[in-house]
Amino acid sequence: MARYQEGDFAAATALIDCLSPQLHRFFVAQFASRRDADDLLQETWLRIHKVRHTYRPGEPVLPWFYAIARHVRVDHYRKAMRTAAHEERLEAMSEVEAAIPGQSDRTDDLEALLAPLPEGQREVIEMLKVAGMSLEEVARATSSSVGSVKQKAHRAYKTLRVKVAAMGRGLS
Amino acid sequence: MRDQEIDKILELAAQARHDVEPALLQRIAGSIKSSIAPVRPLPPAWMLASGLILICVSVALAGAARAGFHGIEKMTGWDRALIFPALGILAWLAAAGFVSEMIPGSRRRMAPKTLLAIGSLVLLGLFAVLFRDYRTHQFVSAGIVCLVTGVLHAVPAGLLGWCVLRRGFAVNSVAAGLVGGTLAGLAGVAMLELHCDNFQALHLLLWHTAVLPVSGAAGALLAWALRSRTSSGVGEGK
Repeated sequence: MARYQEGDFAAATALIDCLSPQLHRFFVAQFASRRDADDLLQETWLRIHKVRHTYRPGEPVLPWFYAIARHVRVDHYRKAMRTAAHEERLEAMSEVEAAIPGQSDRTDDLEALLAPLPEGQREVIEMLKVAGMSLEEVARATSSSVGSVKQKAHRAYKTLRVKVAAMGRGLS
Repeated sequence: MRDQEIDKILELAAQARHDVEPALLQRIAGSIKSSIAPVRPLPPAWMLASGLILICVSVALAGAARAGFHGIEKMTGWDRALIFPALGILAWLAAAGFVSEMIPGSRRRMAPKTLLAIGSLVLLGLFAVLFRDYRTHQFVSAGIVCLVTGVLHAVPAGLLGWCVLRRGFAVNSVAAGLVGGTLAGLAGVAMLELHCDNFQALHLLLWHTAVLPVSGAAGALLAWALRSRTSSGVGEGK
């Protein structure tokens, strides 16, 4: 990251290659379709590039990336909601819901498993279990406290226990 | 079903390959190639927070120097020893909070709403304990003058603070506006404590303390309006 800040294009490319799959997965896990996730990923890197001076060497790098990715996703969601609200006046509600990004194309096992979780819990589980971040790093990325992250993870596990048990019963 | 089993299921699901199209990665790399110039990282957080504190102190002192230091002159030693250090601690917390809101991935020690609530409660507590004159002479007219004076001093503090952090990037601009407004409001309250010699308890409890939530709310509202206006752009928080 420090080399990227110094203007090293090879370092920037290495970062893009290394981090893009997990950022892409982060978007897909938040109910984005692959196409939306592609757009979000591209927008995230543009934003990262624009604000790369805000990374301070020595600080954990993943929370910095995820905080920006999260911001891009929220921004995208907000715009989508505005568009949906605008279209609501013209179309029936069911058609508008179809226009909100990310309601289709979800085929991945992880995404299917996390689907019943609320957005906040889903992103916490995704960061902890898929990106392998620590509680402290997730707290930084989500601008919250470690206690709040623990609470979300606990609630998510409670929901997942019920879901997995139900899946087990379904299989047997 | 135990947590370890859930962990295992998540681990297995996470191990599944998740590839991104190489063409997309190339496109991303290509889009940043033309502007890959070196950048100067932000100064350390403590330096930025010190800059913000310096601005607040300067604005409060400049305002009181222009209007007169009647308040601090009339205060007892106890009043001075409790009010100004409390304002200093709150300002430090607010400055650190403002800096962390403007740097993605920073550790957040306190939520902006909590900071505003604690700041207001601390001021209410101090004023209630230290001042026992319960008359309400010219309560509204004198009060509005103080509220407006405090908020007017918060404006330059807020603007200068934003200048210090203009290179930052707020991932949550409303939270950044709220904490920035709170910090600016503390500068306004400090100016009032230095200047205002109206020590009626209710005057202080309502009108002086109100500078803090009013400034905080104004900062959050301004940030929300700016975000709504520029949400399609890339430069939010810059």
